[in-house]
Amino acid sequence: MNKKISTSIKRVDAGIKTGGAARYIGDIPFDGLLYGKIVRSSRARATIKSVSVPALPEGYYYIDAKDIPSGGRNRIEMIKDDWPVFADEQVRFIGETLGLLVGPDRKELNRLRDEVQVEYEDLTPVFSIEESEALKGGPIHGEDNTYADYRLKKGDPDAAFAKAARVIEDTVRTGFQEHIYMEPQGVVARTEDDGKLGIFFSGQCPFYVRHAVSATMGVPEDQVRVQQAVTGGAFGGKEHYPDVISTPLAVAARKIGKPIGLFFDRVEDISFTPKRHPSVTRFKTALDEEGNILGMDIDVRIDAGAYESCSMVVLQRAIFSVNSVYNIPNVKIRGRAFATNNVPSDAYRGFGAPQGLFAIEAHMSHLARAIKVDELKLKQQYLLKQGDVTVTNGRIHEEVKLPEIIQRIDEMSGYSKKLKEYTPGSWKGVGVSLFNHGSGFTGNGEQEIIKGVVKMRKRADGLVDLLVSNVEMGQGLQTTFRKIAAMVLELPVDSVVYNDPNTDLVPDSGPTCASRSIAVVGYLVQEAAKKLKDRWKESDIVEVRQQYEPPEGLIPWDQANLQGDAYPSYGWGANVIEVEVDPLTYEVTTKGIWAVHDVGVAIDEKVVEGQVDGGIIQALGYGSLEKLEVKEGRFQQKTMADYTIPTTMDFPKIKSALVDNPYEYGPFGAKGAGELVFDGAAAAFADAVQMAINGDVKQIPVTPEYIMEVREDGNN
Amino acid sequence: MVDSYRPLSLKEALDLRADTGAMPFAGGTDLMVRYRYESGAIPDYPRPVMFVNQLDDLRKIRRIDHGLSIGAAVTMTEVLDHDDVPEILKEALLTIAAPGLRNTATIAGNICNASPAGDSICALYALDAGVKLQSPGGERIEPIYQFITGPGKIDLHADEILTEIIIPEDHSTIHLFKKVGTRRANALSKLTLSAVARISDSRIDEIRIAIGAVAPTVVRSLELEKRMEGRSLKEVALEAEDILRDYDALVQPIDDQRSTAVYRKRVAMNLVRHFLLGVVLQQKGA
Repeated sequence: MNKKISTSIKRVDAGIKTGGAARYIGDIPFDGLLYGKIVRSSRARATIKSVSVPALPEGYYYIDAKDIPSGGRNRIEMIKDDWPVFADEQVRFIGETLGLLVGPDRKELNRLRDEVQVEYEDLTPVFSIEESEALKGGPIHGEDNTYADYRLKKGDPDAAFAKAARVIEDTVRTGFQEHIYMEPQGVVARTEDDGKLGIFFSGQCPFYVRHAVSATMGVPEDQVRVQQAVTGGAFGGKEHYPDVISTPLAVAARKIGKPIGLFFDRVEDISFTPKRHPSVTRFKTALDEEGNILGMDIDVRIDAGAYESCSMVVLQRAIFSVNSVYNIPNVKIRGRAFATNNVPSDAYRGFGAPQGLFAIEAHMSHLARAIKVDELKLKQQYLLKQGDVTVTNGRIHEEVKLPEIIQRIDEMSGYSKKLKEYTPGSWKGVGVSLFNHGSGFTGNGEQEIIKGVVKMRKRADGLVDLLVSNVEMGQGLQTTFRKIAAMVLELPVDSVVYNDPNTDLVPDSGPTCASRSIAVVGYLVQEAAKKLKDRWKESDIVEVRQQYEPPEGLIPWDQANLQGDAYPSYGWGANVIEVEVDPLTYEVTTKGIWAVHDVGVAIDEKVVEGQVDGGIIQALGYGSLEKLEVKEGRFQQKTMADYTIPTTMDFPKIKSALVDNPYEYGPFGAKGAGELVFDGAAAAFADAVQMAINGDVKQIPVTPEYIMEVREDGNN
Repeated sequence: MVDSYRPLSLKEALDLRADTGAMPFAGGTDLMVRYRYESGAIPDYPRPVMFVNQLDDLRKIRRIDHGLSIGAAVTMTEVLDHDDVPEILKEALLTIAAPGLRNTATIAGNICNASPAGDSICALYALDAGVKLQSPGGERIEPIYQFITGPGKIDLHADEILTEIIIPEDHSTIHLFKKVGTRRANALSKLTLSAVARISDSRIDEIRIAIGAVAPTVVRSLELEKRMEGRSLKEVALEAEDILRDYDALVQPIDDQRSTAVYRKRVAMNLVRHFLLGVVLQQKGA
């Protein structure tokens, strides 16, 4: 352990956040601010015949596609650009933006919104993967309703199945998940004194917003200035969605000439913003006479919703994760992202990996139960090691410390001992999960798409400006980035100035997502600091620049065929969870939670602990409580009373530890941590419940209703 | 805009209620949610609002003949802190929301909101509680099971205010409260069970079983209770399955965003069965 970098310091943002001084987007005063209210589709799939707006009082405006300036496009340029700024002849989900009402009084805006009359011609909508695959009502997208359809092959799966003594089939399902960032979505747009479009927003990716707004408005990117405001949580929910609300707001601000704010209510936020992709994963596993796994045939399907946005990349991560930490010799994987008339699915902490990882962990536990072997022993038989081949025929380049991680968690939790003590079906259970998570963009995204740049500047006053586009969103980046720079420069942490980014002032170091801020950008910060240190005495003001270069020795990525090293390095982990199930109510009491992770080196132990605690509890919400049902295209749980995330009363204190495993291309040896810590808890929880009730748990969330079904009616 | 009043005495409050139809507002934890509007807009209350939480006459918990009176403006936290309050009501109150809300919410509000999932309501059914309703012209006392007539529906006249909750002396020797919520705190109920019984000499002197959130109002059967009262545990044991079948017929839950009818039904009956067979009939001498 690098004691010095890992030793915690007081978080830089602790004071303003606990003291209430932080200014979130809704707290910033703007002179003459008007408000926007989105007029939304009430139909899931329909042709728009006409939109009739009521007579608007003085000072009120209705903005729609006709107001997009010439040279602009009615498209939101995200990873894909299929999502229109304003619905285009057709609507594809309930809540889709038809237009924007703008004016000074929000109550009046609500009244006007309710009076907008839209005439639709209804089409047949689809609300599930199954309906989409069956092309109910004709395709929404392309010819087969898939945004992406990928196939991977490792080894010779056909030969493996040909000699199988037994094939076990299994289907695992995961549900929607809502982010419940503490601060709902919010954006302000205005024309600045210098004529640029100014966007102030709560979110993760200032340059994504700049790009999307400039494309919609048909102006050069440098004519849009994006300023991040203090952001009250994001979890992936503010990766692309700010583009969806910034673009219509920019059209309105330009046309009206006044600053306009769009601030979501919680119910509006839950009802209409993207969720984690639901998934259905079907396994066929070939076993020999002795119960050894010869091969797997895996079919992953995700519900991508009404527009693609980033779903193809989510699907990639899902299928790359569906063998998790296991080296299965022969595998074929098919992955498809389906279009439905649900709210578009988008980024959420883990970005497809949690779905893939839950599926394989559940399946491995079902295999162990089916062939009556110890689950952990079965898993240990197939653990990836350094040099092993991945499902994209890349390699594991680092030392895999899973044996040490497993030994450590077993000592901490008493897993093996409890496994012997508790009888399956006795309402007490203990479960385990293993997992890994690739740091950074999938495939060659870092060098081909992002090309991240960091700048650092020694100022005349002796302070150092750290110029990056990554944001603090609660995860601790204000603290960890400063620590990395200060430690290299041998300066006090408060000598490093790192403000909430403004796209006019910082280079594009890429978005704040994909566990890349520390692992990828943090390394650029470290390298820039080294450069600056070398050149420190050159002048009063010295500026250095550092651009991303892929690590050496990787197997080059072939994007057309998804072959090569999907990720340069991985974080690794294990979770153990112990539960008791109430035989009368099927409610679960979680008795213990243990976690051991390899994140390379912790840049700050408290920050990592915060990520571990938050990630695991969020994943336990996903795994046990957070039921989000869609009925005819509408989410049924749309308040925080009905969409229940865990409270402090729901789970006990987590006992966690880190295993040091420095990574050569990470700052001070650090790898990504933000998503890894989400990846294992749902599976360990489900595993513990299935021991307690002695029945296969095949879906999350594992609600008491579902437990009753498995226990009393059986599902096998 | 909404007119609001802050009467200085119960008499003034009763007059205001009669004259303006103002809604009594004690803790406001239901009213503020019910009439909230989208962010940044002033809520629309359909009638004037009258703040009553400062009225001394409504802020007392007092012993009365054969029972306890809880003023309508007494907060849940104050009820929890009072020595004379029956244990089952305290257990129910402790499952409501979280301490911050209990510091301002009132039982009277919980009753007048009349949600089938109201947690204190279910316990009050089991305690055979009543409510005192006052108007400028007089007062009446109604049992809670008659006062609540449907989901969100109460038998409160336009000139009346609910001023007190009357709880008869609790002689129970055993009780069981169980809330099955959506989570451990700040949770709404999927269903609740409140049950009390007084057993002496292997005989059921009194028994009351109330099941919340499984029908439009809390389920309580006076008939089934009478069938068990005054009889020996042995006699009741012989008829237990029959009685459970009759309870089963009364439990008619629905599917909603919080749970399913199938789950509510099975778990409600698991709990009733547990209370009857696992608790009552296991008493000494059974």
